[in-house]
Amino acid sequence: MLKAFIELLGDDAPVFHRYVLMTVSYGLLSGLTLTTLVPVLGYLLAEDVRGAALWLILTLAGMTVCWAWRRRVERAGVAVGVVILQGSRQRIGDHVARLPLGWFTAHNTSHLGHVITQGMMTVAQLPAHVFTPVITGAVTPLVIVVALLALHWPMGLIALLGLPILAVALWLTARLGRRTDQAYHRHFADASQRMVEFAQAQSVLRAFNSEGGSSQLLEQAIERQRQSGLRLIYQSSLSVVLNAWVVQAIFAALMITAALWLNAQLGGTLDTDSVVAVMVALLLTSRYIDPLLDVASYAEILRSACGQLEAVQGIFAVKPLLEPDQPQPPRDGSVELRRVSMRYAPDQPDVLHNVNLRIAPGSMTALIGASGSGKTTLVRLIARFFDANEGCVLVGGVDVRQMSSRQLADHVGQIFQDSYLFLGSIADNIRIGRPDASAAEVLDAAQQAGISELVERLPQGLDTPVGEGGTRLSGGERQRIAIARALIKDAPILLVDEATAALDAENQLVIAEVLAGLRGRRTVVVIAHQLSTVSMADQIVVLDKGRIVEQGEPGALLANAGHYAHFLDQRRTAKGWRVGTPLNSERV
Amino acid sequence: MDTPDTVSAKPKGRGPISQILSPIRGRLIVAAALAGCGSMLTLVPLAGIAHIASLALGDSGIVSHEVWWVVIAGIASLCLGMLLISAAELLAHLADNRITYHLRMAIIQRLSRVPLGWFTRRASGEVKQAIQDDINTLHSLTAHFYTTVGRAVGAIVISLVYLFAMDWRMAIVSILPFPGFFLFFTRAMKASERNMQAFVEGMGRIDNAVVEFVNGIPVVKSFGAIGKAHNSYREAIDAFAHAFIGFTRPLVGSMANANAMISPVAVLGTVLAFGTSFVALGWIVPLDVLPFALVTPGLCGPLLLLHYVTHDLNHATGAASRVQALLDTPVLEQPAPGMQLLPMGSEICLEHVGYTYDAGRRGVLDISFALQPGTTTAIVGRSGAGKSTLARLLLRFFDPTQGRITLGGVDLRHIETSTLYRHIGFVLQEVRLIHASVCDNIALGRPSASRQQVEEAARMANIHERILALPRGYDSVVGEDAQFSGGELQRVSIARAVLLDPPVLVLDEATAAADAESEVAIQDALSRFAEGRTLLVIAHRLDTVMHADQIIVLDNGTLHEQGNHAELLARQGLYAHLWALGDYHNCEEPAVSSC
Repeated sequence: MLKAFIELLGDDAPVFHRYVLMTVSYGLLSGLTLTTLVPVLGYLLAEDVRGAALWLILTLAGMTVCWAWRRRVERAGVAVGVVILQGSRQRIGDHVARLPLGWFTAHNTSHLGHVITQGMMTVAQLPAHVFTPVITGAVTPLVIVVALLALHWPMGLIALLGLPILAVALWLTARLGRRTDQAYHRHFADASQRMVEFAQAQSVLRAFNSEGGSSQLLEQAIERQRQSGLRLIYQSSLSVVLNAWVVQAIFAALMITAALWLNAQLGGTLDTDSVVAVMVALLLTSRYIDPLLDVASYAEILRSACGQLEAVQGIFAVKPLLEPDQPQPPRDGSVELRRVSMRYAPDQPDVLHNVNLRIAPGSMTALIGASGSGKTTLVRLIARFFDANEGCVLVGGVDVRQMSSRQLADHVGQIFQDSYLFLGSIADNIRIGRPDASAAEVLDAAQQAGISELVERLPQGLDTPVGEGGTRLSGGERQRIAIARALIKDAPILLVDEATAALDAENQLVIAEVLAGLRGRRTVVVIAHQLSTVSMADQIVVLDKGRIVEQGEPGALLANAGHYAHFLDQRRTAKGWRVGTPLNSERV
Repeated sequence: MDTPDTVSAKPKGRGPISQILSPIRGRLIVAAALAGCGSMLTLVPLAGIAHIASLALGDSGIVSHEVWWVVIAGIASLCLGMLLISAAELLAHLADNRITYHLRMAIIQRLSRVPLGWFTRRASGEVKQAIQDDINTLHSLTAHFYTTVGRAVGAIVISLVYLFAMDWRMAIVSILPFPGFFLFFTRAMKASERNMQAFVEGMGRIDNAVVEFVNGIPVVKSFGAIGKAHNSYREAIDAFAHAFIGFTRPLVGSMANANAMISPVAVLGTVLAFGTSFVALGWIVPLDVLPFALVTPGLCGPLLLLHYVTHDLNHATGAASRVQALLDTPVLEQPAPGMQLLPMGSEICLEHVGYTYDAGRRGVLDISFALQPGTTTAIVGRSGAGKSTLARLLLRFFDPTQGRITLGGVDLRHIETSTLYRHIGFVLQEVRLIHASVCDNIALGRPSASRQQVEEAARMANIHERILALPRGYDSVVGEDAQFSGGELQRVSIARAVLLDPPVLVLDEATAAADAESEVAIQDALSRFAEGRTLLVIAHRLDTVMHADQIIVLDNGTLHEQGNHAELLARQGLYAHLWALGDYHNCEEPAVSSC
């Protein structure tokens, strides 16, 4: 846990070290001040008020120092919190900004958002609210043990032995709780997933609710969550009880020892000094027990905070793409894949297997193939969403790993499904493609992307705000703004996923026009869906199960009567489909 | 000082919290009382020590067995006290487990009846957050707040009683640090309340910045402009950190003073200073100081814990009001029991139907037409014309704001939802499978269907062979060993609708995302399924629906034209314009090369 915490702090770790040092010395100082009560009370009970008063001055002085020091500890704790809210959040931001594009799945981004906001907030409060009492509570008794040893060694010994025993008990209960804790978190995550599903699939769940069982799965998940929550309660109650009982058992042992000691004194002549010593030792004992009880009561809080830290560790564990020391700029608009193989996880089959492909500058390549054949992966490798497991991807004659991400991004434009819009106007969003674009250029891109009609309809035109994430616009409209964004960038290479970008008829038309306009001027790699696109291409690449099974110029491939011919056939049949007429009457 | 019960029954911000906790209030009060008694008992050994001291050092002399009696009584009380506290904690946690379970169930029951539009306006993460995270936040309230208050108050009450019984003058001066604690504490709380609003706003701003950052990274990265988005994230983080410092600065000083005030060192110092003075003045004997030195510092622990849980209380209040708001979400009007009407036949009529979205955005306006049984109706129009809104109204995802829709002569609002969906099935563009076996997914609407019926539906939907090829066939679990492509997903959802066998079918001509192979299979399945049913098709391509019995042309939310293909073309209006735009001239005769 401490390791994760320090990793999170990074360069700011000294702030934390300083805080820990201050807290430990605060604990020592408190302990030392507390031990001054031995002579004060000793003199007082021996009815020597003068002696007591002298020592009392020391106690009061210690008290004042403790007070002042405590304020500094508190500030140091807040400083650690600020470092986490600022430095660590920045560090997470810097880290994820370097992660490969492929990492940003819906699941990962929502998890990341949660970690940065709530997770960091929880962690930031740890020092001031949890670490300070725990560290103080662990250090103060150490000093008191020393005093007890001096006063009456058997009691000191028991107190000393009590510390490792308590440590073992804390460690044991933490271990015991871990499995139940994990099971609970698993069920909690399952139920959470079901809730997301409940919200996302609500229309389906409701429409298919004729027998009343649509929320059944979610209810079962919540029931399981409750069951494992119950187990966790019993388990953690047991841990808390066990820890507290260990502490109290130590207390009982100390009391019995003191009683035995007292009885031994009672046997002989009653020596007031010894009785006073017993009393003072018992008082010290209660000062030794209380902080330990505090430590035991914070154990559960500490354990649950570990979860947040582990989540952060998980994010830091994702390796960013390596940036080259001496980046080389791409030389032209060509793309080449050399013996590329790709799989998403070591235990999964290859998505692409030993793919070799050359795409000439200024040419248009259409990728076709069934879903799951590897088209999307191939295109994403060119944009370096991730690096290939084997082989290399060259853009402009340079391995993508030898370019800076900036150089690659400048060189390759994309029109994919992901059309997230930023808070701002339509024009702002288009300008993301080229921040220095003039108003005329923005308007031109908007026109090419088929949003001029939309822009005319809106009272504020291009300056209309899009709403957070573009929520004020329809899916097709958002997509067309994303297309304009890619067009204004005017990169030498353009990657297009037609199947996902062509949301509706209007978008299909826009994409067809865009492709026709770019043909011969830019290198275009398109995951093709429309017949018109395929027919425009200079080169067709047919993928099947991660391998290139056919490749060549459309006319030549058609003559082969292979995969491509079959694809065309299927597309034509689909295009000829009519609703509302008897089956097969139109299928020739 | 309040007694444990009255304090525990009145947490701050009683509105939403007391409403939500009302079912378990009794248990929580009992738990708080138990914890209070328990913490009283755990203090007995300290009194015992003081008693032994007075016996040993007093004039009366001491007997060995008396010491043992005191030790045994002390340890027994300690054990009993610990037992009571443990029982209280357990009770509170069990009550928490119960209430969170019931709240989650209640929210789900509620949300199952709100208009579907409610869900489309919200991110699914928000729904999850309310049900899981907000209710989890309540945990600190139900499971910890009451028992902690009980313990703290119990310890304080018994200590005060004991100390005052010993010597009232010493008692008054010994507890001087504690009012000091409350003074600083309330000052800190006031300071935090003053800045709370600004702080919460800062939290909101940073949440938005984070959302924009994490969702926008893929976009900005692909434009090589990561710096810009990253900068606004950086600025938001820094601004928040400054707000946080401003928020905590007035708090830290007071809080540190409060904590220092009741640290054992300060408390003991106070007791000894006054004790020594009183002894010097001859008001008390030295032995009288001992109970104070023993008992007073024991008050610090509970008070600090009290501080920790009040800190959580603020969060819990916010969470409770969000949960309460969810439980109060307006639901779709359901026919009262006994008021439900059964539709006669399956004719659907829209009568002057209008729908306006919340933000004043108009969906549709004054739409009237009928779907005759066994006919095909197509809805066409530009994107944003209101096609999907109309389909959703028909499926009662929300109710029209004007006019009404009838099925078999009965207003949809008077038909029980399950009856409605037995009559109207749908296959929409957005396909959702749930995390369950393929078989369960197909049988979603009819869990009682036999395996044979499920397989028949799958065959009808052209997906049977594909399912058989899965590792565990129909028992494969979606998202685990059943991975479907977009087109295959659609066919599973068709099978699901087939099994329900509704007389009316709403169809989104929804094949854009499918690959060529799938598209043909989907079309085949739909054609087979549509036979003999009343069909409403939301069309994106005009040629697909050119043979429909009736074509409804929407424009800007209103019914613009109506008729069949030939009539509409002859009219030379919007439909004819769209047809010309769509470049369908060679589609009149299918299977002719369009390349």
